[in-house]
Amino acid sequence: MKRLPDISLTVINNAQRASIFMIALVTLSACQPEPASSISMGGILGDSSSQLNQYATVTPGYQLSFPADHLSHDDFRQEWWYLTANMQTESGEQLGIQWTQFRIALAPEAAQSAISDLDAANPNALNPDALNPEVLNSEALNLDSSNSEASNWATSQIYMSHAALTSSVAHQAAEKWSRGHPELANVSAKPFTAKLDDWQWLSGSDGLFPATLSVATNEFSYQLSLTSHAPMQLQGDKGYSIKSADAAVASYYYSQPFIDLSGTVTRNGKQEAVTGKAWLDREWSSQFLTKAQQGWDWFSIRLDDESALMLFQLRGANKDLPAFYSARRMFADGTGRNISGDSSELIAMTALQWQQTASGRYPVSWQLRIPSEQIDVTVSALNPNSNMPLSIPYWEGPIEVSGSHNGNGYMELTGY
Amino acid sequence: MSSLAEIRLSLNVFLAHYKHAPLQAGAILLGIILAVTLLIGVKSTNENAVRSYSEATELLSQRASLLITPNPGERYLTEEVYFRLRQSGISNALAIVSGLAVDPEGRRWQVQGSDLFAAINLQTTQATVNESITNDENTRQQNNLVNSDIPIAKLLAAENILLMSQSLANKVAPNGEFYLQDPIDKQKPIKLEVIGLDDELGLGNAIVADISLAQRLLNQPQQLSYIALFDDPESLINQITQRNLLQQQANITEQDQGQALQELTRSFHLNLNAMSMLAFVVGLFIAYNGVRYSLMKRQKLLVQLLQLGIQKNHLMIALICELTLLVLIGSIIGFILGLQLSLWLQPMVAMTLEQLYGARLMPGSWQWQWLVQAMLLTLFAGLLACLPLYRQLTNQPLARISTKIGQVSHLIRTHRIQFTIAISSLACCAIAFPFAKQYQVSLGLMGVVIIAIPLLLPLTIYKISQWLARLCPAGIWHYMIAETKELIGPLSLAMMAMLLALTANISMNTLVGSFEVTLKTWLESRLHADLYMRPASDKILDINDFLDQNDKVTGIYNQWTINSTYQNMPIELVSRDLYSTKVTSSLKAQTNDLWSEFQSGNQILISEPIAIKYGLNLGDSFSIAPFTKALSITSQPITSQPISSQPNSLLPTIGGIFFDYGNPKGQVVIDQLFWQNIGLPKKPKSIAASYQGDVTELEQLLVDTKLIGTAQMYNQAKIKQQAIAMFKQTFSITMVLNSLTLIVAAIGLFSACLMLTQARQAPLAKLYALGLSKGQLRLMTFVQMQLIVLLTCLVALPTGAILGYLLINKVTLQAFGWSIAMLWDWHAYIRVVVIALTTSAVAIAIPLYWQTRKPLINSLQQEAL
Repeated sequence: MKRLPDISLTVINNAQRASIFMIALVTLSACQPEPASSISMGGILGDSSSQLNQYATVTPGYQLSFPADHLSHDDFRQEWWYLTANMQTESGEQLGIQWTQFRIALAPEAAQSAISDLDAANPNALNPDALNPEVLNSEALNLDSSNSEASNWATSQIYMSHAALTSSVAHQAAEKWSRGHPELANVSAKPFTAKLDDWQWLSGSDGLFPATLSVATNEFSYQLSLTSHAPMQLQGDKGYSIKSADAAVASYYYSQPFIDLSGTVTRNGKQEAVTGKAWLDREWSSQFLTKAQQGWDWFSIRLDDESALMLFQLRGANKDLPAFYSARRMFADGTGRNISGDSSELIAMTALQWQQTASGRYPVSWQLRIPSEQIDVTVSALNPNSNMPLSIPYWEGPIEVSGSHNGNGYMELTGY
Repeated sequence: MSSLAEIRLSLNVFLAHYKHAPLQAGAILLGIILAVTLLIGVKSTNENAVRSYSEATELLSQRASLLITPNPGERYLTEEVYFRLRQSGISNALAIVSGLAVDPEGRRWQVQGSDLFAAINLQTTQATVNESITNDENTRQQNNLVNSDIPIAKLLAAENILLMSQSLANKVAPNGEFYLQDPIDKQKPIKLEVIGLDDELGLGNAIVADISLAQRLLNQPQQLSYIALFDDPESLINQITQRNLLQQQANITEQDQGQALQELTRSFHLNLNAMSMLAFVVGLFIAYNGVRYSLMKRQKLLVQLLQLGIQKNHLMIALICELTLLVLIGSIIGFILGLQLSLWLQPMVAMTLEQLYGARLMPGSWQWQWLVQAMLLTLFAGLLACLPLYRQLTNQPLARISTKIGQVSHLIRTHRIQFTIAISSLACCAIAFPFAKQYQVSLGLMGVVIIAIPLLLPLTIYKISQWLARLCPAGIWHYMIAETKELIGPLSLAMMAMLLALTANISMNTLVGSFEVTLKTWLESRLHADLYMRPASDKILDINDFLDQNDKVTGIYNQWTINSTYQNMPIELVSRDLYSTKVTSSLKAQTNDLWSEFQSGNQILISEPIAIKYGLNLGDSFSIAPFTKALSITSQPITSQPISSQPNSLLPTIGGIFFDYGNPKGQVVIDQLFWQNIGLPKKPKSIAASYQGDVTELEQLLVDTKLIGTAQMYNQAKIKQQAIAMFKQTFSITMVLNSLTLIVAAIGLFSACLMLTQARQAPLAKLYALGLSKGQLRLMTFVQMQLIVLLTCLVALPTGAILGYLLINKVTLQAFGWSIAMLWDWHAYIRVVVIALTTSAVAIAIPLYWQTRKPLINSLQQEAL
């Protein structure tokens, strides 16, 4: 499981005022009851779940297909393109970078297009088929292109991007927001492009690779070439990744753990060449967490036997609620083994060391054990202060792995 | 007894005295309260306006550091520029489109659209930045935004939703619905849902929409009015120019921390400040009068205290303590009332500023410093006024128990000194005025005149009543007039305040009345056509053709306009056809060969405000960017000649100065041929037509052609109506302050009369004992006092006229650059006199009735005066 919490439910407790606002903005607008003019049972019962129903849902058996599924799925509530990398400078310094583009729907796409198309009296808008995500997607696209009057500004999607650069002594993070707009922030095909202003993933093909990734902030910037020849790794059941033992919440989730990277990093006005390995995660859903879940601890690890390990636990909202574990050992030929369940026999995770950061107290060192894979490693942060003091505060940074295997990777800690 | 004990004892005695006579303390407090109220009311209004200019933010967002604006002569820029900026990493940018939309009734509304998501997000970022310094104000605004129900999802999805301040929403869309014409299909109104936001968010009278909707409402797809940027301006300019991000599609305009607006509105605020100072002075007169009266009443008490062995300087300190305490209490109450007053004044000021200068006011705020300032000012003025009195009292010979303080001879001496001071300062002003070229100086001199005028009053009235007394038959009438002289002393302060208020009122009336007449006459000549049109630029030629074909159209006049600046003053560069130029420019001054030189492009016309502001005269060369740009290009071929020898020889000179009223921008008029020669936009901006017949008929014909909407047409009557309305607005605030001053003066008169009648119980009782009836006594006192008021009004007549003259010919001319022909309005004068007599009648009658109701004979035993 990766990344951004269900924006509507968690993390609000320790969020800053600013982030409360943004989250409130996202949830309030998404969850507010319908205006009195169209009173319905759904409106009267109007909690988040009533509108949640209007978003597309994640179901088992969906066949992921590429490159189509690299693009955005606007009928789902949340989605992200998430790259982390462990790199070395020419002088041998270890660096980590992160780039993430989040998409958040402010309102269900179907309902939205129905409203905005009422004027135009477009029969498609009221077609029940429009609620089918796949139909809707193509319909929505058609609508946009056929209706020449529709403004590119009109949107129900907003985008947020995070970027970070971490060394053992410094951790810099930045954030950008934008409404969805073809010129400003979106994900588009031919060639594949994910962008928010000047933070851009530009592919040379319809697929994700080869690509350049450029990010520039006031404090740092990086420009990276990314290549990968390994097949995509579908997490969970062919990309259907459950997030609770009862499968009440799930996401579509695939990864590319085997990316070669080279490029330049600029910090403090100084440019340096870097090489390293990167990891991409793609995930989308309409609901990521149940109300009983507090947050997660997520690891992406490249082991020294050329395999990779994705591992996470979703913690319960209180001590009595059991955590949910999931992991996958992956190989460059596209094969892999899932390890999942809520028994600590299969996956054991123990926090070893905590760090008080400006945005909270995080467990920055872990003991990870997966007996079935003969993995028993200790994970420690390259920089324990890799907290992200952004709209939604969390911890994300490069890690070093030692024990039964050596290696490196990334760790993400949320909900603390 | 220790000194502290002596002071405490004196203060205790004073306290007991005031307990016995609360009216006296009340009168002093009243004066201070009124003075501070008006001072603070206007001060907070002004300060808030100035703060609004310098902190003016983009609607619902933060303050921009740099603006990207359309090219000269264009109203919009393409949104491609915005995309380029964002794609090159300038993310703290806000795209804004604004313009006029028309409702089904034909009223025009300014609609502003921006990327509301970016706007709110920028504001949030700003708040996060400020979090470390815990800026309370920002937090407050922040919370307002969080709590407000901005339906961002619907707004971004281009649903028909407008945002307004709650107060505007209540006014224009009480049921939450608002209709605007569809700019494409004019017959089809668009229904819009209105969301009222907390007034604190500072939307003012703006109507805000998301850009997705606004571009549609304004029919400006893919167009922006400007782009606001929020980072460090210097690095932004570097980045933009180095990467050529604008590609000649737009311009960079640096924000000036509201200096331009401050510049524009300075005279307006100065006007307000001057009025508030006047009111403050009037209030202080009342307070001083109160202090004087209470000292007069306590004269015996003070002597007794001295006789008891209290040292002079201790008594003095006690008196100063008493004054300080009264000032403290009065200032605090006045401060609170003043803030209340400013709440009431601010909408009025906001309206003026918004209509006249396009400035938005932010929600009011106030500072404790104002209270301290007001207190210190009041205390200083109070001490200055009272110290001589205190000294005089504490220096009395101990043996004197007699209570005759205001001996007539002594008073006359004071009056003479006052009169001499007044005359000499007036003389100085008379000499200095012709040399005062700046309105600040003129205003200062006027302040001296205002102080001098009341000082003239006591002796003048004294002399007049002396002269009247000689005319009167002997007996009771003679006694009455003769005794009036005695009243002048105690009443003089209240009368001075009254005189000030009257004079100010008369002069303001004169100014406003004269201006209205001047403006109307000017509009008559300025508006020579019947219908003025400002269509979309691509329609203008079609409209011209259409008008050309209509037989009833007797004249078509084109006008070309671009905005420019002259020494930081925003100006409009205008060109019309020669006939229109000749007819519409009412010239203040012109050269002999104006029109031939004008046509050859050697001379230009400038508006009076520019001429006055920059001291320009006929024959001066005039340089603005469009001229120099064009001339540097055309002068390139003749490089063989040294251009530097006569750098200004190519620049046009000023051939005429024309009157221009109410236009905050300066205006420069050049010939059409010259316009074309220097390469300015060829297409006219607006077009006007003379029409034989009902102009509404022509309007309808034009609407039917679909070339132009009613919103883009203004007929002559409509313009006149708007101009007059705007003008009235400009002066409404001053008139309100003026009336307040008059009210304050009336209150002062009331309190003075109250105290005087109380003091005159003994003489009245004597007359009663001598056989006069109560009715006669009442009539006599009443006539005496009304006589003084009437005399004051008479004095106010010439002084008001002088002040009016100075206001018109010095201050307004220099501050606004408007020549106004002074018109004396007898009606207004008589009205003011009637108001003054009526208020004083009430002010006299009530205390008089109270006093004479009691058995007068009892008063006979009271110690006189």
